[in-house]
Amino acid sequence: MTAEENVSRQAAADARYVVDGPGLKRLVKAALGWLQHHQAAINALNVYPVPDGDTGTNMVLTMRSAWSEIADSPERNVGRVAKQMAHGALMGARGNSGVILSQIWRGFARSLDEKSVMRADDLADACREASDTAYKGVVKPVEGTILTVAKAVADAAENAAERTDDLVSILERVVFAAHEAVVLTPSLLAVLEEAGVVDAGGQGLFIILEGMLRHMRGEPVEEDVRFSEAVHLTSESMAHGDLGYEYDVQFLVVGDNLEVDAVRERITQMGDCPLVVGDPGTIKVHVHVSDPGEPISYGASLGSLQDVVVEDMQAQYQDFIVDRHLSSNGRVSTTSNQDLGEIGVVAVVPGDGLARVFQSLGVGAVVRGGQTMNPSTKDLLEAVENLETDEVVLLPNNGNVIMAAEQTRELTDKALRVVPTRFVPEGIAALLSLNYQADLETNVEAMKRAIDEVETVEITVATRTATINGVEVSEGGVIGLHNGELAASGDEIAGVTRQVLRDVGSEDAEIITLYYGEEVSEEEAQALADLLQEDWPEQEFEVIPGGQPHYQYIVSIE
Amino acid sequence: MPEVEHRGRIDVSPVAIASIVDDAVRSCYGVVGTSSKDLAAGIATALSSERKRGVEVRIEDGQIGIDVYVIIEYGTRIAAVARSVMNVVKFSVERTLGVPVAEVNVHVDGLRISNID
Repeated sequence: MTAEENVSRQAAADARYVVDGPGLKRLVKAALGWLQHHQAAINALNVYPVPDGDTGTNMVLTMRSAWSEIADSPERNVGRVAKQMAHGALMGARGNSGVILSQIWRGFARSLDEKSVMRADDLADACREASDTAYKGVVKPVEGTILTVAKAVADAAENAAERTDDLVSILERVVFAAHEAVVLTPSLLAVLEEAGVVDAGGQGLFIILEGMLRHMRGEPVEEDVRFSEAVHLTSESMAHGDLGYEYDVQFLVVGDNLEVDAVRERITQMGDCPLVVGDPGTIKVHVHVSDPGEPISYGASLGSLQDVVVEDMQAQYQDFIVDRHLSSNGRVSTTSNQDLGEIGVVAVVPGDGLARVFQSLGVGAVVRGGQTMNPSTKDLLEAVENLETDEVVLLPNNGNVIMAAEQTRELTDKALRVVPTRFVPEGIAALLSLNYQADLETNVEAMKRAIDEVETVEITVATRTATINGVEVSEGGVIGLHNGELAASGDEIAGVTRQVLRDVGSEDAEIITLYYGEEVSEEEAQALADLLQEDWPEQEFEVIPGGQPHYQYIVSIE
Repeated sequence: MPEVEHRGRIDVSPVAIASIVDDAVRSCYGVVGTSSKDLAAGIATALSSERKRGVEVRIEDGQIGIDVYVIIEYGTRIAAVARSVMNVVKFSVERTLGVPVAEVNVHVDGLRISNID
């Protein structure tokens, strides 16, 4: 063995026992990469404290801020790197989960203090201090959250450090414990149990630690598409939602000699999210089913029923979405343009930017809606009724909203026509062909024709592995849809977009407009447009902030 | 907060709303106390058993407006904590009562140093 080999072998061996400043930097970078990879999955879990689906994003932004503080640091002292990083996390803390994460790093850094390197015992101490610090930041700590996971991590680290000095082996135990704690979060926090998810922040912390472990084991953290079990848990619970358990049923059975276990077994077979607790005298039942009659008749056969509650879960979700938009943006934003003519237009749009586009084109009202937040007939009716005109055109701009739009026609006394636009670009094309001088029927015909003159491409990232139209798409993979049909899939947005645009026949188009989504920055969108311009030099590219969720880009080709 | 129903009216008093708010605020990460707005001197008092302190609920024209006066943990990002208080309070009240909250104003009355770096 040469001296050089000896040194590198020695260094590799040391890395298992000692982490210095640069070593911590690499761990943080790996954690960030792995977290980014799971960002969307973590967002999907977010139901507590406010179900706004941004936990993953907030944790990523917080970690990114931590990383940018140390990325160029020449510091070799692990304690000082930790301190810089904690400072970065603090300054960039976003959202509830980001603030807690910044406190975890703060405690972690305080414990490492000015230490030049971190060994097993230091890691254990730092994990304990991280957990303690995080707990101090709130009057009433809620269990079943990231706090619970932080505590489990501290326990595991202390335990493991008593038995070994090998950091890889300690981290393995820590990651295992974090995962266990995440899986248990629904049993500690009812709102998670009801939603059928694990805690998003806790999952985020688990992913951060798993990213570090993967780095130490020499496994990739960015391209690998292996998912952790807990993430699967989400996909499954979402799949259950797809299966259509539409009703949330709860009741009490009062009787004699009730057998709780037998009841639980029967109820579990009926649906999703079963919860059966009680004693031989009284049993509380909660379950999600498609036929609420089944558990209720079963309950009635056992004893007398009390406090029966049956709720339409879809309606609950709708109400929730409506409330959010009602309060944050105003459910229906009426613009001053509505007196332009005799015909008012109501458009359903999925994002702020797109709302502005429609408003600038003269719609009387926009109603928030989109892929996962379809407006109800009631919302549409209200928007239609609130317009001052008696003739109204409704643009659903989403295949799933067309039916609700049609139903609205029967509920209003106004002359309401639905132009069945399935996508935002179709809605814009339809709107552009509106002629305020012409009558309603003429306009509706012109608008319907306009729909056919535009092609819609949507670019999104798959939230779980699936086979669509015979094409396998893995989680995190990019998919391109042409008029709602899957047209291409791949690893990165630019490639997929280019392929779909080619299939669509963009060389015959005049204008290609990119409406970029809420997760995309203007720079990214412009860069993509510049790239595409190279392939289609004849076409005019426009980049407009759409602000829509889920779709990175909605592209209009006309 | 009157709500006309088919069989009568439901009134929710500001005091009831305040207890929902109080509960929500106390579970907000980064909030280590609330303070009484009446203390003009701005002397922050740690959360005591006297509930509803540091919470003000107004109902004007059927709109709910809420002011909360909080003490935040030193060393957290105050803006992020305050925003999260805003979101959590709004969400809790809207979910519990089913009526929209027009505004939530968060007043940071003090910082508490419980962690020394």
